[in-house]
Amino acid sequence: MIETNQGNSVVDQTKPMNTSLALVVAAAGMLLGIMAGRTAARIWLITTLVGVIAAAAAALTVLNGDDWEWRSGFTVGGELLHLRLDGISALFMMLLCVVGGAGSVYGSEYWSEIEHPRSARSGRVWWNILVLSMGLVLVMSNGLHFLIAWELFALSAYFLITLDRQRSEVRAAGWLYLAASHTGTLCLFAFFTSLAARTGSWELGPMRDQAALSPLFWLALVGFGLKAGLFPLHIWLPSAHANAPSHVSAILSGVAIKLGIYGLVRFSGWLPMPGGAGTVVAILGVISAVLGVAFALGQHDMKRLLAYHSVENIGIILIGLGFAMISVEHGNAAWGSLALAGGLLHVWNHGLFKALLFFGAGSVLHATGTREMSRLGGLWRRMPWTAGLFGLGALAICGLPPLNGFVSEWLVYLGLFDATILHESSAWEAIPAAIALGVTGALALACFIKVCGIVFLGAPRSEAAAHAHECGKSMRGAMCVLASCCVAIGLAPMVFWPAISRAASTWHPAWNVVQVPESLAPLGRVHVALAVVAIAAAALLWRRVKHQGFKRELTWDCGYAKPSARMQYTVGSFAGMITEWFAFILRPVKHMHRPKGPLPPESSFEEHTPETVLERVVAPFAHLIMRVSLLARRLQHGHTQSYVFYILIGLAALAAIVIAGGGQ
Amino acid sequence: MNTVVDIVLRLACWLLLAPLLPGIINRVKSWVAGRRGPPVLQLYYDLARLWKKSVVMSTLASPAFVVLPAVAWVALLAAAMLMPLGPAGAGLSFRGDVVLMLYLLGLGRFCTAWAAMETGSAFEGMGAVREVSYAVLAEAAMVAAMLSLSVQTHSLTLTTMLSPTAGAGAVLLAAGLFIVLLAENCRVPFDDPNTHLELTMIHEVMVLDHSGPPFAVILHGASMKLLFFAVLLTQAVLPMGKLGVVSSTCMLVAGVFVVTVSVGFVESLMARLAFRRVPLQLATAFLLCVFALLVAWKGGVA
Repeated sequence: MIETNQGNSVVDQTKPMNTSLALVVAAAGMLLGIMAGRTAARIWLITTLVGVIAAAAAALTVLNGDDWEWRSGFTVGGELLHLRLDGISALFMMLLCVVGGAGSVYGSEYWSEIEHPRSARSGRVWWNILVLSMGLVLVMSNGLHFLIAWELFALSAYFLITLDRQRSEVRAAGWLYLAASHTGTLCLFAFFTSLAARTGSWELGPMRDQAALSPLFWLALVGFGLKAGLFPLHIWLPSAHANAPSHVSAILSGVAIKLGIYGLVRFSGWLPMPGGAGTVVAILGVISAVLGVAFALGQHDMKRLLAYHSVENIGIILIGLGFAMISVEHGNAAWGSLALAGGLLHVWNHGLFKALLFFGAGSVLHATGTREMSRLGGLWRRMPWTAGLFGLGALAICGLPPLNGFVSEWLVYLGLFDATILHESSAWEAIPAAIALGVTGALALACFIKVCGIVFLGAPRSEAAAHAHECGKSMRGAMCVLASCCVAIGLAPMVFWPAISRAASTWHPAWNVVQVPESLAPLGRVHVALAVVAIAAAALLWRRVKHQGFKRELTWDCGYAKPSARMQYTVGSFAGMITEWFAFILRPVKHMHRPKGPLPPESSFEEHTPETVLERVVAPFAHLIMRVSLLARRLQHGHTQSYVFYILIGLAALAAIVIAGGGQ
Repeated sequence: MNTVVDIVLRLACWLLLAPLLPGIINRVKSWVAGRRGPPVLQLYYDLARLWKKSVVMSTLASPAFVVLPAVAWVALLAAAMLMPLGPAGAGLSFRGDVVLMLYLLGLGRFCTAWAAMETGSAFEGMGAVREVSYAVLAEAAMVAAMLSLSVQTHSLTLTTMLSPTAGAGAVLLAAGLFIVLLAENCRVPFDDPNTHLELTMIHEVMVLDHSGPPFAVILHGASMKLLFFAVLLTQAVLPMGKLGVVSSTCMLVAGVFVVTVSVGFVESLMARLAFRRVPLQLATAFLLCVFALLVAWKGGVA
């Protein structure tokens, strides 16, 4: 054992050096970007990209080789710095780099100085601070420094969300985000301090042998869960994602909420698990997945809808993680590792396609000035690139072959089916989860047909949509990069498997090596064949149609010769049937004025799905707290005489206590 | 060389035999109604005629309107390649292909519904909504059915899963899958493929604006989907793996024929359900599949 270690250290002497160097370059690039951000946009972009690429290189060396670790000789805040990049953090780092890099290119055009003279400069600076602090969260291996980086990350996200703070709804969204985020931080504060108190050190690392630590997992679940946006804790997520600038929404949804998942993956691997923790995580995952997509179907705002899909995909990731935890309880690594690998790959996948979709939504918003889907339509003609790339992202997020979403969902399914056929008690958790995953997939498909159909297809529903324009090269380029990542993972899953397997085997000390599922290679080949044959068939049919000749006519509307854009299916009518099924939980708000009498006056129908948990549960509760607090405020009114009277009462009470208890 | 022959034969089987099924159904329907009815090979004539026609496209439609029917067709064909054919086994088989099969059907649905939304017509929007909404329940039933087959055979490969009989739960599973077949292929009582331009349809109304070769591809794909579900149902219920080559082939053909004829009988004897009742009917299919799963579970212990 010792010999092999020494052998490794001789061979790999250069590797940690390379990783350190890459990380130093990355940090320097980001810091230079922060300094250049206010004045020089071009230098900012170049330094940021250099930093991001260097960090990606560091993550890649770790994913292909050994962990990287560094301890400082000096203290920061009374603690020695301890940085670590292992399989799991490198996995998240890689995603951060891809989405961060694409986002900065996209943002340089989307939030340019010409269009946003007031906030473009500070936007660039905060962007770098956000990416840098997320990177710091990933490498910090000391509880105190983790919290500091976490807080920096939360605050920089707040400033990015509220870049456009002249608008009141942006301020409201930012405030809600800040409140929710700090509630989470409060839980994490309690978590890390109790961890430090019980272990006697702020150092983080595997602590599975200390059984007394297990109840702390619940604190971590709430704290990280609030950031990840799992179902009942997602209240901040829709409005923040909808109102932030689109490149910010992309990194929030693609990476920032994944840091919540990072925390959960990290500490579910390091801490001893309380009984039933895996089941709770899996149940939360199922609820988030199904209800996330159900809420998404009820939305009329394109970016809000995408935000709810983040809840859904976080649910899918948590199903994977939850079943990995259950499998540890059952002592069966085989299916647990499949589920975990699926969940971790979905972290990447969701980051990629959700950022792509938010970029697409941003491009639509940029071109038309509205996020309201019922005012859009027929955009493919004016914005073919955006429409095509958004369609690709939609295919990926619905988990359809041959794209990346299917690969990760397929791995999770394999884990669930395997858990079922073993004929153990784990099946009672796996069966509902598998069915829920199927339902989620079908609902997501319905939802994205709705988005794509209403926004990009058909006839334009407003002047703005009719005169839209395609986005520029930078925005298009950023979308193309993400789209090609989605295609690459779908067509060649074997290439990406080592990284996933490396992360999954880092998760739990008992899982030394996570074997590649023997059918992953055939799946990749099927995907390639499917893509090739589908393109060939499409080309053949296109040629046939060209050869036979075609003419354009009005859409057939039962012989009606003047169909108008208003006759098309709308957002509400498309989702009507499914939102009705889920009405008991969605609680849609309807206002209907039926036509009455022989000469009916104007009639109207309006429906929207509110953020039910926020408006029906959290808001009344907060209102109650406010009322109690207001009662307490009556004590404070500025009359000095009364304050003297309070002091007198206080002293009298103290005297009474001293006299009554004086004997002791 | 052998694999090439195998694939060519398999493709020929799926592509050439599929259009026969709607013809058989129509024959059964006309026989029950006492009419002469169209020839059994009517769909072949229709396909040939459509392939030679030119295309009328909506002014609103993008090139995807033409291209996506081809993609949907390829997705269905790929699902068919994963489906074992009695003694011949599947064209391609690996662990977890059952999930791929389910999602390939999803890909087909995505493409059809997208193409329907292209025209901006309220009718086609309506059809797309129904297609994707009912699919949610059908998907739940399919996953439960596949789980029950998996539990029974301890396998995740379609070839193994479909080789024995579904055991004691076979009747439940057959009933559940038959309802899913009717819904997924838009037959009575969920949809009436005979009517045109009605507000009450799913599939026909989605393809209202298609014409010429793309429409031929859509019709052929629909018939392939019907054959696919019939083959799935037959093999899930009958013990294909226990028989010899000849008898299992005969069994498969007979099974598909019986399923097709019963679709025809259902269509002749039943009226279309009110749309409000459709989700209930599909929920019944889901429950039947869940009960089949429970029976399979119970059987697995012994």
